[in-house]
Amino acid sequence: MAIKRTAPLGLVTAGVVALTLGAASLPVRADDTIKVGVLVPLSGNFAPNGQQTLTGIKMYFDEIGNAVAGHKIELIVEDTQGKPDVGVTKARKLVERDGAQVLTGIVSSGVALAVNDYSRENKVPLVLSGDAGADELTMPGPLVNPYLVRTSQNGRSVSAPAADWAYKQGWRKVTVIGSDYAGGVDTIHAFAQSFCQLGGQVIQEQWPPIGTSDFGPYLTNLDRKADGLVTFNPGADGLRLGQQFSEFGLKGKLTVLDIYGTIVYEPNLPQLGDATLGMYSSLFYSPMIKTPENERFVAEFRKRSDGQLPANEGPNGYVGAHAIADAVKAVNGDLKDTMKFIAALKAIKFPSPKGDISLDKYGQVIQSMYIREVEKVDGQLGNVPIATYANVDQFWPFTDTEFAAYKYTYKELKGSLTDCGKLLAKK
Amino acid sequence: MVWVIHVLNGVAIGMLLFLLAAGLSLIYGLMKILNLTHGSFYLVGGYIGLTVMQRTGSFVLALIVAAAAVALIGTVIERYFLRRFHLDELPQTLVTFGFLFIFADLSLWIWGGDPVMLRQPRIFAGSLSMGDYNYPFYRLFLIAVGLVIAGGLWWFQEHTRLGTMLRAGVDDAEIARALGINVSLLFTLVFAAGAALAALGGVLAAPVLSLYPGADFDALILAFVVVIVGGLGSLKGALVGALLVGLLDDFGKAFFPQFALFTVFVPMAFILVVRPTGLFGRR
Amino acid sequence: MTGRVGSFVACVLVLALLLVLPQTMRPYYVGLVTKMLIFALFAMSLDLLLGYAGLASLGHAAFFGVAAYTIALLLLRAGIGGWIALPAALAASTVTGALIAALALRARGSYFLMITFALAQVVWSVAFGWRSFTGGDDGLPGIARPNFGWSLDSTVSFYYFVLAVVGLATLLLAAIVKSPFGRALRGIRESESRMQALGYDVWRYQFVAFVLAAAFAGLAGALYAYFNRFVGTEYLHVIQSAEALIMVILGGAGTLIGPAIGAALIVFLEDYISSLTQHWLLVLGIIYVLVTVLAPRGLVGLVVDYRQRRFEP
Repeated sequence: MAIKRTAPLGLVTAGVVALTLGAASLPVRADDTIKVGVLVPLSGNFAPNGQQTLTGIKMYFDEIGNAVAGHKIELIVEDTQGKPDVGVTKARKLVERDGAQVLTGIVSSGVALAVNDYSRENKVPLVLSGDAGADELTMPGPLVNPYLVRTSQNGRSVSAPAADWAYKQGWRKVTVIGSDYAGGVDTIHAFAQSFCQLGGQVIQEQWPPIGTSDFGPYLTNLDRKADGLVTFNPGADGLRLGQQFSEFGLKGKLTVLDIYGTIVYEPNLPQLGDATLGMYSSLFYSPMIKTPENERFVAEFRKRSDGQLPANEGPNGYVGAHAIADAVKAVNGDLKDTMKFIAALKAIKFPSPKGDISLDKYGQVIQSMYIREVEKVDGQLGNVPIATYANVDQFWPFTDTEFAAYKYTYKELKGSLTDCGKLLAKK
Repeated sequence: MVWVIHVLNGVAIGMLLFLLAAGLSLIYGLMKILNLTHGSFYLVGGYIGLTVMQRTGSFVLALIVAAAAVALIGTVIERYFLRRFHLDELPQTLVTFGFLFIFADLSLWIWGGDPVMLRQPRIFAGSLSMGDYNYPFYRLFLIAVGLVIAGGLWWFQEHTRLGTMLRAGVDDAEIARALGINVSLLFTLVFAAGAALAALGGVLAAPVLSLYPGADFDALILAFVVVIVGGLGSLKGALVGALLVGLLDDFGKAFFPQFALFTVFVPMAFILVVRPTGLFGRR
Repeated sequence: MTGRVGSFVACVLVLALLLVLPQTMRPYYVGLVTKMLIFALFAMSLDLLLGYAGLASLGHAAFFGVAAYTIALLLLRAGIGGWIALPAALAASTVTGALIAALALRARGSYFLMITFALAQVVWSVAFGWRSFTGGDDGLPGIARPNFGWSLDSTVSFYYFVLAVVGLATLLLAAIVKSPFGRALRGIRESESRMQALGYDVWRYQFVAFVLAAAFAGLAGALYAYFNRFVGTEYLHVIQSAEALIMVILGGAGTLIGPAIGAALIVFLEDYISSLTQHWLLVLGIIYVLVTVLAPRGLVGLVVDYRQRRFEP
């Protein structure tokens, strides 16, 4: 009965849809503009990270006048909403409908994994310049993708140097609080493994789930015998952990080493205030790095983001854009030979606000890691670099063969990080 | 001593949950509306409180302005969007869901996506020393505030004319109307009051839990768990449910960390099997 | 358009259009129409529950997601694909439907809504929290499409596969709603007490409707898993349930074709608007409110009202 009455409606709808889609099947006009597809989250939980990454990307291309080797560069931005299925849909749209020749950005690891598959299947160059730090993307293994390079970071390279620094400070026992997800386990595992190798040990591990609002139980449980507390809690969790850490009177009782700076993330510092003084963190960047390159970058970035200081996303986006531009120049603007373009990408080498940048043979970035301490500079709280590790690649402190020789991966070791024997067991 | 801390924690979080759930439960109890916008009232209330705090530095003012502003928003929604669907549950639910999305997007637009924490009022800075451990004063304050509000609501329900009307309205709207009670005014008042409670919850929770995109959904889900456990339409149910969920959540995290996420849903599933209308629910 | 002839001609025309589309469109748009078909099935399955049985559920995504995860997990964790995975996925979503129905049908109205919401969230939290098994919020990438004799890897071939599956499912659903079972459901939607008095075992009818709806939703979920070659927690999230609900309401509950049109529209709008602005959620919310206030019986309802006013003064 219902079908009778809806016949005209069905016809009209079908007609409208057909017209629209038919119009959409008109061919794209070809010209020699280089189209760069930017995939970042602009809504949802990762919106601020996406926004910052985009600011960095736009900043670099604006600096070079949006042109390389005589070709115009056009940025087409799509919002992934932090969701993998949307990410793949938008990737498809960028490549198939808009004619993008290279994709960049990507903040969420989930989106990165999904778009990585798309890039490999469709032979589309992907320059990962956002936060997505899943190690497996650039290590030998099933996810390996010849069309991928990553200029941002990977989980373990931010963490392992911190273990070295902690040991040098005299720390021998640490307690850890890490967000319970793949990235969290991977990051903390890297710390634990390096720390064990040097002679230290993790004596307690706690894994609050992502989105934990109340860290009370974890903080109350902390083993006070530790020389320090190692943390990794991205997003709002870091803010809450930092706040509750001092609320529960632990400031001064336990030193904090915050991997990746999740607590002392620049937007958090003004909110947490003096409670963060003296907290240490490890990251591939700090807005307080004193090079002319960085000071120029910070000044311009603040202009574009209402005075906000760049944290990790801005410089990452910027460096990724720089890599794309250099590679485009190397192939003279002709991206039709994809493998040649990829080779040009892998060969990039330049100084940047983060420090010196180059890529290893897997397409993963080699950069510097900084240990920073929160200090008051000109009345403002800032993460001041106090130690630098140069040429840190994704396997640091091991070579790729040494790293592959370990028996257990981080996936099998959650819950066993206190067992140095297992962490260092070889195949 | 650790046990005391865990119990205090559970109760403090429970009080926050109570503020959330009480409004939801009251609104349902009287109007039979499942107010999905409740999560937004929490978040937007919190954000408004944050803005007031940033401009004036007064926590009390933040509480008052947030509650009043959200009560106003609630009144508008009830009068112009919900009233036309009187007793028609699905459209009411859909409209409140639509507003949940609208407010979620607007708050991201206005306040941005970085998680923010309200600065705790200075009087509550610091913590109570209990031997090896410390317990934040602010959380003790939360427990106190929760008890005061719960007490106030209970007194209001039992000992005032309006409260009696509320209970009459709950039991039978038609008879209440026949008795001359201005049911539509009552509905608006209750909806606004429920919204205000959620907003208060948002401001009070912000220094502990922070405000971030998605906090509206998180709050809504937790409020649902509490009213499923405690029973819709019952103040006592909201309080008992909230305390139960708060304590189970805290102890769960501390002693069964691998199941941290599920400790909140276990009591809910249990109640659904054993007593689907909740501990103190009716109908 | 005159009655049955008109509707038959319309159906043939629409089918012809759908068959011919991929030959003229760019692959991206073929993909979009594929997505529309998948969500049309999802919406129609919810319509069985909402429009015919009168049960408003806020947790329909649970069945959608469970089927999708079953496909993914069987393939990635046990190497099982193709012929076995699809039925297994349907079985999984059907069983989940039965479990949730058993718990939720002890309540009515708002309680029912809330319980379906909460239980779906429990399923979501398992997927989200059991990281080692389900991949957590990273999801499960790398799902290969099944090979039932010829490859479904190309966008166009997969489109025809989905068209065939959704077409058959639609015929099945239409048959169900026209059958005595379907009529009984509508009677229950009008008045449970009356049907109970007439001797119908209301609970049993609602239970079966729920389980059937779950099965069809699971079919849609499995198709979506193959479409994206990826499964994630968004498949199970309340927003997915909410989108299904608005598809049904926008199109018109209780008509089957209404929700299909609603689905196509929402999929189209989301694709179009999310490229223009990041405020899709705001637009979706506004659609919710506008539809509920202005057109509670959906687009189909509007057309029906219009024709009634024109032809029956």
